[in-house]
Amino acid sequence: MARKQRDVLSVEWVKLELIRTAYATRGGLFSVMDPRMVLGWYLILAIIPWFTHNLTVLAVLFVVAAISVALARVGPLILALFVFGLLTEAVYIFIAAIFFGGDLTTIMALLELTLKLGTISMASMAAFVSLDPEKLSDALLALRAPALLAFAVSYGYRMLPILVEEFNTVFDNYRLRSAPPEKPGFLGFRSIAHWIKMAILAFYPIFLNTAQSVRTTVEALETRGFTYATVDQRGRNIRLAYLKVGALDLAVVAVTIILVAGAFWCGQVWPVYHVDLLR
Amino acid sequence: MNAVYQRAGTLRGATTAGNKPRYDLSNPQKLMIFVLSMALFGLSNILLEIIPDIHIGPVDISVAYFVFIPLTMAALFSPFWVALGAPLGEIIFTDLLMGDFSGLSEIEGFIQMFLAIYIAGSAIRNPGNGVQIAIGALLIVVVDKFLSAAVDLAKVWVGVEEAEYVEGLPESMLLLEGVGFGVDLIISGILFGILPAMWLIPALHGKIEPLMGMRPRVAGEPIPGKMPNSGLFVGAAVLLSIASFFFAFLEAWDVSIGAFEPEFLEEYGNGFLWISVIAIVVVTGLAIMFFRKAQHKDNR
Repeated sequence: MARKQRDVLSVEWVKLELIRTAYATRGGLFSVMDPRMVLGWYLILAIIPWFTHNLTVLAVLFVVAAISVALARVGPLILALFVFGLLTEAVYIFIAAIFFGGDLTTIMALLELTLKLGTISMASMAAFVSLDPEKLSDALLALRAPALLAFAVSYGYRMLPILVEEFNTVFDNYRLRSAPPEKPGFLGFRSIAHWIKMAILAFYPIFLNTAQSVRTTVEALETRGFTYATVDQRGRNIRLAYLKVGALDLAVVAVTIILVAGAFWCGQVWPVYHVDLLR
Repeated sequence: MNAVYQRAGTLRGATTAGNKPRYDLSNPQKLMIFVLSMALFGLSNILLEIIPDIHIGPVDISVAYFVFIPLTMAALFSPFWVALGAPLGEIIFTDLLMGDFSGLSEIEGFIQMFLAIYIAGSAIRNPGNGVQIAIGALLIVVVDKFLSAAVDLAKVWVGVEEAEYVEGLPESMLLLEGVGFGVDLIISGILFGILPAMWLIPALHGKIEPLMGMRPRVAGEPIPGKMPNSGLFVGAAVLLSIASFFFAFLEAWDVSIGAFEPEFLEEYGNGFLWISVIAIVVVTGLAIMFFRKAQHKDNR
């Protein structure tokens, strides 16, 4: 049934892609796991890179994170944004290298940071792309996070694609109803000013629409006893009853821990620090 | 623009107990404000991802954020809940969902933005007053950018980062920070702060509140969720900024280790890391305690 989309870079496609990301419809390894374990797995890969400056360890961790991105079936939009970010970072480092001339230490330090942040970003992509809003908020609740945060996360994930769509509609409205400036001006100055003005004007209806929908949501939640259901232990038990840690969860976390240990072992055997690369 | 607002029934949370008409927010209303500010500030940040940044040399000419959005909500509803929701929306929408999480500096940014919106929102006592709106918009940028500029300067002072952009001229750092501050003040503070807010806040005042089941704010009555007026709160704010400094230091230290080895390590040692972590925990704990106390005192 999958319709082939030729016009890949349309606004419509971006919206669809955001919805797919938010609802984890692509499947993948982490989407069948227990959400609490996915968060735990994410924390392992998010915290460990900060404790080392060994480039070998970081490179292995980077590869592990890249494999998990593939296993999580991260969509092309998010992936493209990430790769674009990495490329611009590389270009920035390259330009910095030209500007600073001989001073390579700073550049190598930047490179190391890019490796670290890349690992963490990929881990967060893999984890959060695989969790739909319901599961994520239940996991946060089960881990005793404030109910407000759990709700905010799930609501935000759900609303984001709708908000982007709504903004797009309103913005197009303003474009249709207003004439573009006759001359673009110096460096397209007038056109840019016109766009900015429309973007700001579009927020007036957006404010009112969002306020309305937020109220509807919150009141619907309150009639179902949202506040008390999360405070009362019996309500929590009913809501979180479906969370179960299975064999797959334990296996994934165990394999990750082994791989991290392996990364540190590799680091012990072939230690590379960015200071060494300069000698 | 403001017709006199009249309503037949009483609204939830509106009480006339005490000598002044007082307006307390109910729990669902706090949730609504929190979620609304999160959603809208997150949306505006996604828009900003599309707009490219322009660098002229080391000076960055870009829109930092749409100041008028959190300011509008802080002025119309309640500064505290907007200050909590808006930076969280930025982290959840643009950083987690788009896979652009930058580690510890996110926490630094959250604390700075929280303080900025909270202080600026509390400065607007009358949502219809243009001067107060302008002061609020500038306050957001000044508080937020002043704190981050101070962090940058302190990093150099402690010695975790290079000081000299121009060889042999330490003052160049100060100059660049000053220029960056000025650019932010003009673009984020005036173009995307004062000008839209002066139009949007009066335009929405009296229209958006009924949609959320609230009474519009009336000038002169106590603001719900306002900054407590006490020394304790000032203490809490200072402590929070110090905590944000330490987060920034940890991050900078992590980058610079290696680049500054071995003199830096010899001077401070690995203990620096642990001292910073302990300092963050202690300072943040103290700040929250002060803050609770200040709020408690204000409520009585």
